[in-house]
Amino acid sequence: MASSVTEPRPSDSSPAAGAAAGSGGPTPGEKRRKGLSEKNRPLWLLIPGGLLMTVVILVPLAMGIWMSLIDLDQYTLRRWVSAEFIGILNYIEAATSSDLLRSIWLSVSFAVISTVVTIPLGVAAAVVTQNAYRGRALVRSIFLIPYVLPSFVVASVWRTMLQPDGIVNVALTNIGMDGGLWLNGPNSYWTLVWVEIWAAWPFIYLLALSGLQAVDHEVHEASALDGALWWNKLRYVIFPYLKGPVSLAFLLATLNHINNFTLPYVLFGAPAPSDVNVLPILVYVTSFQSFRFGLSAAMAVVSLVLIAIPLFIYLRAVRLDVHEGGKK
Amino acid sequence: MGMSKPRRLGAVAAAAISVLVLAACGGSGGTTSGATGGKVDGTGKTLNVLMNVSAQYPQEQQAWFKEMGTKFKAETGADIQWETFATANDEMTRIQTSVVSGQGPDVYGLGTTFTPTAYSTGAFVKLGENEWNQLGGKDKFVPAALGISGPDESNHIGIPFVSRPFVMAYNTELLAAAGIDKPATTWDEFTAQAKKLTTGDQYGIAVAYKDNFDPWKYIWGMSIQAGNPLIDGDKVRLDDPITKKAYETYFGWVTKDKVVDPASVGWANPQALAAFAAGKAAYFPMTSPLSIPALDASAVKGKYKYALMPTVPPGETSNPSAGKPASSILSGDNLVVADYSKQKDLAFAFIKMITEKDVQLNYFKVFGQLPANQAAAKELASNEVIAPALDSGAKSVATPFSGAWGDVQLSLTNVVVQSIPDLSAGAVSDASLAQRLKDEQTKSQTALDRAKK
Repeated sequence: MASSVTEPRPSDSSPAAGAAAGSGGPTPGEKRRKGLSEKNRPLWLLIPGGLLMTVVILVPLAMGIWMSLIDLDQYTLRRWVSAEFIGILNYIEAATSSDLLRSIWLSVSFAVISTVVTIPLGVAAAVVTQNAYRGRALVRSIFLIPYVLPSFVVASVWRTMLQPDGIVNVALTNIGMDGGLWLNGPNSYWTLVWVEIWAAWPFIYLLALSGLQAVDHEVHEASALDGALWWNKLRYVIFPYLKGPVSLAFLLATLNHINNFTLPYVLFGAPAPSDVNVLPILVYVTSFQSFRFGLSAAMAVVSLVLIAIPLFIYLRAVRLDVHEGGKK
Repeated sequence: MGMSKPRRLGAVAAAAISVLVLAACGGSGGTTSGATGGKVDGTGKTLNVLMNVSAQYPQEQQAWFKEMGTKFKAETGADIQWETFATANDEMTRIQTSVVSGQGPDVYGLGTTFTPTAYSTGAFVKLGENEWNQLGGKDKFVPAALGISGPDESNHIGIPFVSRPFVMAYNTELLAAAGIDKPATTWDEFTAQAKKLTTGDQYGIAVAYKDNFDPWKYIWGMSIQAGNPLIDGDKVRLDDPITKKAYETYFGWVTKDKVVDPASVGWANPQALAAFAAGKAAYFPMTSPLSIPALDASAVKGKYKYALMPTVPPGETSNPSAGKPASSILSGDNLVVADYSKQKDLAFAFIKMITEKDVQLNYFKVFGQLPANQAAAKELASNEVIAPALDSGAKSVATPFSGAWGDVQLSLTNVVVQSIPDLSAGAVSDASLAQRLKDEQTKSQTALDRAKK
């Protein structure tokens, strides 16, 4: 996934030519550049990929939208083709008499907090392991442990540790603090944030590290010759290189947090405490415990739209799809 | 890390799309294979059976599958293709795909409380006289086990396979030491005994407040004992004073009576079992004979017995006239035959085979699940450890047979989940309990209204 950010361009100010290359096709790039003209591009080569995308993404998407407009539940499941078309009633019900709005707020705030905290952690870790020193390989490997552990395992371990009589509360009692309840009540929200941060920061670290690796040796030399001290060098020379990869990391990590089902489900179970009734849990319960497939599809569509708006604005703003000179 | 935008929507729709594909390439139909008076000839055919995977005894289950496959081949000439599901979610997904596409397993194993939901899809064979005869007659089964086979006598879809009635385990030594000669039969007596049994780090009761399933069974039990079946015709009765009283009793053990470990607000059932197995609790309600292997390998081996849970509701000395002395929910597995199956006779022959006395006794021996076959259950009645469980099976009452039951169950559990912070803090206020019940009443009533259409 990092392949699209191989050329971070801190000083790029060129217009976002070909920003609409959503389907992954070659972008026109700058008009005067040499190579294949627009006419002769072998667009037919996109057919297999296009077909795959249609089957894997577009058809289910259309199905999901259709489901959100019909009254599909356990009673109508068997004759779902003839399930009653109820227009936007599912959407109205989702907005007015379900926990959807609150779940969206919980999901978005949880995702943003988690990402905002993990970015400095990940960047700092990348900087620390950038220069060679004895034991660096070991440190790098240890940093990756939370990332390679399956979500299920991470959640199970934390759930065990955060029990009312678990190891965390025992330790807190030993130092004279009252731990309280971590897996239910208002603290549960922060538990979710904490465990997500614990599990997700190495992703930022990986992308930041890839950004650091792209800094040419000459840049380091030049800034040393100019007498830049470490902070100034970091601030004005190195960080601009990280803008691209870290922006991408910000985007992907936030979406990943919003979509994380396993972590809250294993940590808190279903039905979830109201403080952690995040979107994936709400959709799951509506679908598989209340069997309201139409209603849950409407919730999923709403969340998709809500995510898509900032995502679109963001993609336009950071121009992740612009490559220097169009080269890959 | 595929994080494309429409991912979650795709997930919701994924089942539907696979269904479409399946529907496109599969025909459906309800023709039965040639029914004969006696034996079913299944030569060259394969019966597809979907059952719950046994996490506790995986190897034994494979061996049992093999044994039954051989026996079935000898009886009918047909093969069996076994499939298993791990969670209720897996099962539901499987049913959805099969129901919509009209193909899939011929026989499904279902948890009893899931049977109403399955019934509401209308995708399973209703059992008439002919079908019961193929199975060896209705009398073959423990009568109470038929309580959740359908909404009424003439609309049964579920054939009882095994029974897992709930009982409570008690520590004989601890009760004797406290001068209690027999386990409690009313909830008030139960609480009073539990107070006596609580000393130091030893508690009267081990309760799993954080379990995803246990809590609703207590509330349902205490409610029906006092005359509130929770779904009463076209009304949900969660905001009924009877049910509020049930919650107060259940919460009171931790907030008022202090007869449970305060940490139990975070426990699931296995943790409560562990506390009882370590000798830290005198009573362990809401368990079944499936806990025998764990208890026999623990510090309480030889020092525990099972008994019926109290059957008289809180605040009473006998059941009110509308109340039922329910000792347990009707718990276990039912078997259903898919309506789309083209080999229904074969399916019934298979179910007949695995509900015969010898097979059921053997199944109990291997897996610890009680027989639904009446003759087999009678034979086990002399087993002292098992007898209370069999008794509880006979006195169990079915949860309401409604497609909305899943939602009511969810609501009952949710009240406990949302009350846990209060429980931990030491008190659930009257106002917040009433509010939670009111909220859940609305949700459940909406679900029931849909079921009525």
